[in-house]
Amino acid sequence: MTEQSDRTPTGKTPIATSSRATLRGRPMLYTEYARDQALLNTPSKRLWTALLVITMFAMPFLPFITRSGLSDMTRLMALAIGAIGLNLVTGYAGQVSLGHAFFVGIGAFTGAALGGSPTTNVVGYELDLLIWLPAAGLVAGLVGLILAPLAARVRGLYLAILTLGLVFIGEHIFKEMVFISGGQGVGRRGPSPSILGFELYVPHEILGIQFVREAPFFYFVLILLIVMGVLARNLARSKMGRAFAAVRDRDIAAEVMGVPLLQTKVVAFGISSFYGGVCGALLAVAFGQLTPENFGGLGGLLLSVQFLAIILIGGVATISGPIIGASFVVLMPRLVQAYAGSIPFVGSGSLLSVQQLEGILFGVLIVLFLVLEPRGLFGLWLRVRNYWKAWPFSY
Amino acid sequence: MGTVMEPAATAGDTGIQTVVTKVRDRARAMPDTVAMREKRYGIWQDITWGHYYEQVELVGHALLALGVEEGDRVAVHSENRPEWLYGDLGTNAIRAITMGLYPTNPAAEVRYLLQDSGSKVLIAEDQEQVDKAIEVEADCPDLKTIVYLEPRGVRDYDHPKLMSWDDFIALGVEHRDRDRDAVERLIASAESSDIATLIYTSGTTGPPKGAMLTHGNVSFAMHTLIEGGGFYDPAPGPKDVILSYLPLCHVAERAATTWTNAEAGVTVHFAESIETVQVNLREVQPTLFFAVPRIWEKMQAGIFIKMNAASPLKKLVYKAGMGLANKIGDEMVANDGAHTPLTRVLYAIGYPFVFRALRDRVGLRKVRAAGSGAAPIAPEVLKFFFGIGVPIHEIYGMTENAAVATVNRRGRVKLGTVGEPQPGIGFRLDEETGEILTKHPGVFAGYWNKPDKTQETFTDDGWLRTGDVGEWVDGTHIKIVDRIKDIIITAGGKNISPSEIENSLKTSPFIKEAVVIGDKKPYLTALIGIELDTVGDWAQRRKLPYTTYRDLSEKPEVLELIQKSIIKTNDKFARVENIRKFRMMPKELDHEDGEMTATQKVKRSALHEIFGPLVEDMYGNTTEHAGGDLSEVHSGTRPTADDEAEVA
Repeated sequence: MTEQSDRTPTGKTPIATSSRATLRGRPMLYTEYARDQALLNTPSKRLWTALLVITMFAMPFLPFITRSGLSDMTRLMALAIGAIGLNLVTGYAGQVSLGHAFFVGIGAFTGAALGGSPTTNVVGYELDLLIWLPAAGLVAGLVGLILAPLAARVRGLYLAILTLGLVFIGEHIFKEMVFISGGQGVGRRGPSPSILGFELYVPHEILGIQFVREAPFFYFVLILLIVMGVLARNLARSKMGRAFAAVRDRDIAAEVMGVPLLQTKVVAFGISSFYGGVCGALLAVAFGQLTPENFGGLGGLLLSVQFLAIILIGGVATISGPIIGASFVVLMPRLVQAYAGSIPFVGSGSLLSVQQLEGILFGVLIVLFLVLEPRGLFGLWLRVRNYWKAWPFSY
Repeated sequence: MGTVMEPAATAGDTGIQTVVTKVRDRARAMPDTVAMREKRYGIWQDITWGHYYEQVELVGHALLALGVEEGDRVAVHSENRPEWLYGDLGTNAIRAITMGLYPTNPAAEVRYLLQDSGSKVLIAEDQEQVDKAIEVEADCPDLKTIVYLEPRGVRDYDHPKLMSWDDFIALGVEHRDRDRDAVERLIASAESSDIATLIYTSGTTGPPKGAMLTHGNVSFAMHTLIEGGGFYDPAPGPKDVILSYLPLCHVAERAATTWTNAEAGVTVHFAESIETVQVNLREVQPTLFFAVPRIWEKMQAGIFIKMNAASPLKKLVYKAGMGLANKIGDEMVANDGAHTPLTRVLYAIGYPFVFRALRDRVGLRKVRAAGSGAAPIAPEVLKFFFGIGVPIHEIYGMTENAAVATVNRRGRVKLGTVGEPQPGIGFRLDEETGEILTKHPGVFAGYWNKPDKTQETFTDDGWLRTGDVGEWVDGTHIKIVDRIKDIIITAGGKNISPSEIENSLKTSPFIKEAVVIGDKKPYLTALIGIELDTVGDWAQRRKLPYTTYRDLSEKPEVLELIQKSIIKTNDKFARVENIRKFRMMPKELDHEDGEMTATQKVKRSALHEIFGPLVEDMYGNTTEHAGGDLSEVHSGTRPTADDEAEVA
């Protein structure tokens, strides 16, 4: 290649304004790499993202959003953070994990121990959120890093069984470490969130605006979700993200291309566990009361499966997918409850209870998505988008 | 927006206005404004006027350092890229002559062109072109230096005449440090009778001839075609965007790229290669677009193919849109290519549903003026593009008159004609032959080293013979009948214009090439070459298996398809002009094999030789080769392996 050493480097020389006119209305004419690689590279993406973010921030003030609705939204976003983490290791790096609940549990109890109040049988240091939240992520991440070399030796079904084992080991540990978890069937209170003395779980009045009890924490989790989502997205399109995808698509081929297999898998597990830990600590706040059964044993297995369902329904190997999937998993039961009355054969004393209908719908949807649209709800969106993107052609 | 300063003549500058001075003046007035963009490493890199002119000057200095003198020839053998323009203008800056070669020119033609022009320096793009040059270099005693642009593959060549572009420019820098004003002095001393460029005619008959265009010719062409809106109407300006992709050694693209850029300050974008034109077009979305008929036809065929594969709803909407487009097209054609209130309403209805998206997909969304030239275009194609809102205006000209002859002006379009003579030029038809004659300051100075050929090209009173037979339509517009030497006189003594029939045949999306034969023969016949994309797509949808181009051509179903097109064309012509038989050309015509010129024009004489057996087959009443007549088709005797090898 002729190296154009004396050519005007892009962006360094001020380009006269009339030159910009030749770029207007030409979204595909990239003159800078930054614009080429921008996440929100089209005006419509910027518009819709802005609208979505504004709607989310306005949520506590929308008339039809109840306080319980707001805590549902908070739980949804916490689950989304955890699911994004699982999607990094399972969706991007292709390492199926049934043990995600274990890392979520570690985060939850770490957060509760460091941020919660002490009682007669559990410890509690009442630390600041700025300490216990990162600590929850780091402890879970560290455990993930320690366990990863084991997990990196196996793949597929064996890996699924191995990670399943974590959930049961977790059950044992959580039950035995009574001074942290409160013990079997008893549990303990979650941490109370406060940043530098500012309580996040009490009503506030700021600049004359009334905020309900759930609102400050809702905002905190929303901002955290945006930050961690963007971080994950950037990781996924970086060199590391490409290494993840290479390992997923064919580990041997990836190694031949010079992708260090062990290192890549360990990093994937570590980061995924970190996200899981953060999710756990946030859930601990949202739940209020947590027991070892939430995160270990059958309860843990159910939680792990729920995370898998979120990424499968939402969209494997995407960042928006887990958010969509979490919304679906959290909001679907509420919809079913709201409309159960108008569906025949459903309700107390009828053929199906509302919970049964929920369970059946959930299972059916997972089966349908796996068979019909493996890319999940995000895949459905892609189909819609591509349909219009190619208009009036089909490809 | 903002006001763009018009280049003001700087005090102290003397001499005439040339392309070089226009670029220089822009570089001085607005050094940081983008003059062109080139896609490299995945993004479109800005090149400012300041950088452009600096490179031009450095090329000038470098050529001086290499001993190039006034009147020497410098050859450029490259795809379109900024260095083509640097080389071209740098050569002109030192009063030397630029000569361009088509990237597809095979080594034998490169030898002829380098020998004939006596080029001293060759700027070759990459290994492919360097290899050709090295192969023939021994036969070209005048060639002193070969400058290559892409070092990949060439870096390790050990050849005394080779030099990289970087070294070449470094030589220029060195020379500039020694004699800063050397190039400036030569620019100032340029005269309008200086030869600026040799443009080799494509040579459908005989070897190519180098047409000499002077600075005076070029200035006149720039004035008439660009400033006067003779190429694009209204005249281009600095806000316009163009894509450069046709060979720059052809007068049409030189006008559309180099001259339009220098004269009007449009931003040029260089396509990555001829294969990526479609993609680049979508990215760049030019406001002005010039194409040869073949490109327009391909674009239209591409739309048809893609729509055939679209989902039912999309097809339905497209069909409705095409209904509108047809109406708009008809209405506009009836109204001399101008909008009427009705077409505006129809267009506004169709725009949000089909036209906007369709134009965006093919890269024509922002096109405000489009041109077609260099070959006749089918009226159906023009109507289609009129209908979707892309006004294509046919322009006619040739190298020898610097592309200045006739044009269809906005709102005064007559389909099937090449428009009205450009304002202020001498233009008439020969009383006897009907040959088009022109006389104006753009008419060339003659053929390089071929005074006899030059003399043949001019009438005794100094008019240029174009070699095209034309006729007046409504007293204002000119219709091209045919090349004077292509006209067929049948055994019955009838004069027939083959290209009219051929163009009508080629309006079928399935026919790429049609060559009508019948000189001194009792009736007309045709050699047909299919369009592989569309026929392949058609066959696929009919679940018709095929292997090669030849295999597909000779399928009975395809033969029937072609037969139908021929019968449809025959209906439009008088009986004596009807095609009675046809044969399929067993291969795609190619420049490399000497069947076509670099500009994709069919070399008739070569075809008669190559496909002689096919012609004999038709007039000898045998059916050895695949083809048919108006009532039946036959696949011919199956080719043996030997036959295949022979054709391949």
